[in-house]
Amino acid sequence: MSALPDDAALFERFPGVGLDHDNKGLYRGFLERELRLNRCGACGHWQHPSLPMCPRCWSTDVVATPVSGRGEIYLLTVMHQGPPTPGVDYHSGYAVGSVELVEQRGLRYTSAIRSDGIRPAIGMPVELEWIERSGAPFPVFAARP
Amino acid sequence: MMATVRNPARDAVAFVGVGTTPYLRDAGGKSATALACDAARTAIEDAGVDLADIDGICGSSVPTVSVQAALGLPAVTWWSNSSLPFSLLVIEAMNAVFSGACTTVLVYHSSLRGAGGSKTAAADPFRVHNASDAHGHNAAMTAESPSGTYGYCAWAQRYLDTYGVGRDALGLVAINGRANAARNPHALFREPLSMEQYLGARMIREPLCVLDMDPPVDAGDAFVLTTAERARDLGHRPVLLHAATSGRTDRPFADQLEDYTISGKEIVAWRLWEKSDVALSDVDVFFPYDGFSIMALSWVEAVGYCQPGEAGPFLAKHWSAGENRVLIDGRVPINTHGGSLSEGATQGAGHFREAVTQLRGDAGERQVPGAATALVTPGGFLWNATGFVLRGG
Ligand SMILES: [Zn+2]
Repeated sequence: MSALPDDAALFERFPGVGLDHDNKGLYRGFLERELRLNRCGACGHWQHPSLPMCPRCWSTDVVATPVSGRGEIYLLTVMHQGPPTPGVDYHSGYAVGSVELVEQRGLRYTSAIRSDGIRPAIGMPVELEWIERSGAPFPVFAARP
Repeated sequence: MMATVRNPARDAVAFVGVGTTPYLRDAGGKSATALACDAARTAIEDAGVDLADIDGICGSSVPTVSVQAALGLPAVTWWSNSSLPFSLLVIEAMNAVFSGACTTVLVYHSSLRGAGGSKTAAADPFRVHNASDAHGHNAAMTAESPSGTYGYCAWAQRYLDTYGVGRDALGLVAINGRANAARNPHALFREPLSMEQYLGARMIREPLCVLDMDPPVDAGDAFVLTTAERARDLGHRPVLLHAATSGRTDRPFADQLEDYTISGKEIVAWRLWEKSDVALSDVDVFFPYDGFSIMALSWVEAVGYCQPGEAGPFLAKHWSAGENRVLIDGRVPINTHGGSLSEGATQGAGHFREAVTQLRGDAGERQVPGAATALVTPGGFLWNATGFVLRGG
């Protein structure tokens, strides 16, 4: 796995994000357009959000590992107002969902759901896409109904 | 494996004082500390205890050092600042009194409306720079952050989809609150609400509209708790903490909860009824937390009134057309103060104030006849579920 950029540079690329030793691998992955979630090196169990220990076997050999980004919408809301966010316009509704990833039952990642005019729905298949936000890649999901 | 349930603190600690401030959109330049002190002063006066008798203090985001110093509590032996909902502070205070860490404790919560709520709020530098936004919003949050607000809205959508329920189920919670708030002069919103108005209200995060989310207020609440023994020598009918618990699973994050039916609220319900000598059928007044309307539906189900997904039809079945509110079995009202949705968002403090007021018999035109047992379930179903059985002493 790439060690670049160094830790100080990572903080510069993601101002305002609460970076720590447990989630730095996730954000390094952003810069290489890979969604990397923490996976146990001993038993293979995935876990998100990023924590330092595997709850299944207590191994601390937890490694940020790429996921396919494929899955189904498990939770969904269409936002008509929300926190100010670069590039986000709430006026026509901004869909955000939690995607249950194919890698493991119950493993979910939450981000924007893009659906090209189709109304997204719970259960709809999605794929990962990358957009630019504040000068860094940012993972979102595209509905593939 | 489940731990053995014990409840040695049953009926050992009592609420003896209640205080509050007006619930306002703008308290006009008061700090959160000032609101906490205002509420504390009225609670201490209500309890009729001497300042020297208060040897414990427990608060939310305003530091206990500030409130102790402002009130001039000369000697405390126990203090704690704890996270919300307010009910967690009540449990801490109860434990402190029961253990003997202190004997009489002041518990308070206050909050200032955050800067994000309106244009006037956004123009107030004291709100913009206020670090104690009761909703936990902070500058790092983005549209995609899986916050509690996201979680309750997104789980509400999944709830409606899973159980084939319409938004009118959520609307019943809001309408019930307004009908009750009409008789609560303390409430922010007291105008009656129709289902048509509810369904037409401004959408915030689908499926939750502005009427599904409790309105932020500038407000403070405070309580004095002491031993049941000492409570009998004070002026009011004591309100006893009969059973109290929290509940959380190992997947408490907003987007990772295993399932709607595998959550902290199930742990709370199981443990609360194990700890309690009374049953659901003994409850005279019910206070399901309603910071988001979906939470109230979830509590109606979790405590045992009906199955998951059935709270909407249950509320409709137990609806009093004449009073335009819920009366379970024609008898048990829900959130007699209007809930957070109508009274204002104080993270559960309002629910406790009303429960204590009802069990004292001091609720005036809102009084539930003969109210002796209250069920209070503050918090939601992600990481902060709690439950209480309170009894008039
Ligand atoms: Zn493992």
